[in-house]
Amino acid sequence: MSRATERRRSTAEWLQFGVAGAIVLVMFYPAIWMVYSSFKSNREIFRSPFALPAQWRWENLIEAWQVGGLGTLYFNSVFVTLVAVSMCVLFATAAAFAFTRLEFPGRKLMYRILLIGLLLPPPSVAIALFTQLRDMHLLNTPWALILPGAAWQLAFTVFLMRAYFISIRPDMEEAARLDGANTWEIFWHVSVPMVWPAMLTMVVLNTISVWNELLFALLFITDDAQRTLPVGLVRFSGYHSTDYSLVFAALTITTVPILILYFILQRHVIAGLTATAMD
Amino acid sequence: MQDRSAPISTGAANLLFAAPAMLLFATFVLLPLGASVYYAFTFWDGFSAPRWAGLANFIRALTDTTFLMSFVHVVLYIAATLVFEVTFGLVMAVLLNSDRRGFSLMRGMFFAPVVLSMSAAGVLWKFVLDYRTGLLNSTLRSVGLGDWAQPWLAQPETALLFICIVSGWKYAGFYMVIFFAALRRIPRNLYEAARLDGANGVQQFTAITLPMLKQNVIVCILLAVTGGFAGFDLFFTMTNGQPFGATEVPATWIIKQAFDQNQIGYGVALTVVLTLVVSLISIGYLKISERGNVTRY
Repeated sequence: MSRATERRRSTAEWLQFGVAGAIVLVMFYPAIWMVYSSFKSNREIFRSPFALPAQWRWENLIEAWQVGGLGTLYFNSVFVTLVAVSMCVLFATAAAFAFTRLEFPGRKLMYRILLIGLLLPPPSVAIALFTQLRDMHLLNTPWALILPGAAWQLAFTVFLMRAYFISIRPDMEEAARLDGANTWEIFWHVSVPMVWPAMLTMVVLNTISVWNELLFALLFITDDAQRTLPVGLVRFSGYHSTDYSLVFAALTITTVPILILYFILQRHVIAGLTATAMD
Repeated sequence: MQDRSAPISTGAANLLFAAPAMLLFATFVLLPLGASVYYAFTFWDGFSAPRWAGLANFIRALTDTTFLMSFVHVVLYIAATLVFEVTFGLVMAVLLNSDRRGFSLMRGMFFAPVVLSMSAAGVLWKFVLDYRTGLLNSTLRSVGLGDWAQPWLAQPETALLFICIVSGWKYAGFYMVIFFAALRRIPRNLYEAARLDGANGVQQFTAITLPMLKQNVIVCILLAVTGGFAGFDLFFTMTNGQPFGATEVPATWIIKQAFDQNQIGYGVALTVVLTLVVSLISIGYLKISERGNVTRY
């Protein structure tokens, strides 16, 4: 408890607390409602939408997990996110290192070209990308999501990693150079440990984007065995649109672990977001 | 940046560090972008050889009333997000700006929807807005306003509005966090000085807070506008253009044209139009707000 909290609250502060609390609770309530509704029977959901379940039906969750093939969806999402995010952050760090610490022909031009990606919305190339991936025989493989997924996060990631490199003086790297280290050794042993906090921030932000990606996943994957969670969830809710408790259960299974992870990593998520959005 | 010191190393071999990123970007962003510009001038079903079409696709786009209406819908959506996301986020940042116990948790809860997928948010809110069992109508019925209950997403007059509200629920937290961090950077003595001069809360907000947040407001509006034009996930999940095309936005209409109708050439032409509109608006916006030098690059 910090010192500020020990002081007695004024009326205005109680008012602020009350109004803010009411708004936050009303907005957060649908998430709570979703969780306890997933334990109810369809009859209960229709009869009394607000009430807690008369009996907590854990079997709803098991049924949703099995019927929806949620295990496969989770596995695919984890695999795609893991590979795409690692690829994007590593490549972007190397590129940001090159753009800020090294000199080579075409350096400025390349960075300018990369910045196009900051303003371009993904739907603007989705169709051409579909035909291209088909010709590359990548449709219906995880690579159809990994490679475009990583590529579409690059502009933003390089942009912010570059800003971070610029904010740090290259003294350590120059010292290593004088000690006779080659460029790769400098990058791997000096620069990467130095910019590691920024890399972690980019991992968190890119994970949120890639994990939730819907458009590419919808177009490039038509094989149920390769689907990721966001598309799987939309299709599941379409198939079982009248089985409310089953869809609530699937929603709970797919969102609650993410929310728990978020509340654990909350400080990193928010610190990362503010560090990036301020630049 | 002016403070760039001498490079660690010079020579073409250094290109290797930028090469992986540039290759990936060229293959999956620039190549399809270039291909789009070519396909836009062809008749193509995606399978047989593309036939040159000249400007036919673009002329058709200008007479495609659904496509034109989709821009009206997306502009209304963006206007709504400026209220439900940016303005509401700013108000909540001010309201949640306190060191008192409980406020940190409330900020965390308010931000939580941002990390969820649009599809999960969409599916959840379809339940909240459900006519028979949804939270909204159940609340209305329980307080005796059952007559007000509506099939919110199934009637053209309310569907778009409720998508905007859900979008606000999902993203207000994002803008709140940005504004909150900016609020913390405003020196406290500015407020103390204003209080000594007898300024009330509202006067302090308009005279100190808003001017100090100008930079962030400019960036947030840009994010809302560019993000809004590309909006797809929530519209696809909640209504996919229904009822009667009342929630059709460019992205959902483009996907229908290309994949449901097998008119790849026409669909691509629509994406080119969308890209042009987004680029022109962002560049124009950045030019206008350049005095605030948001462009560091």
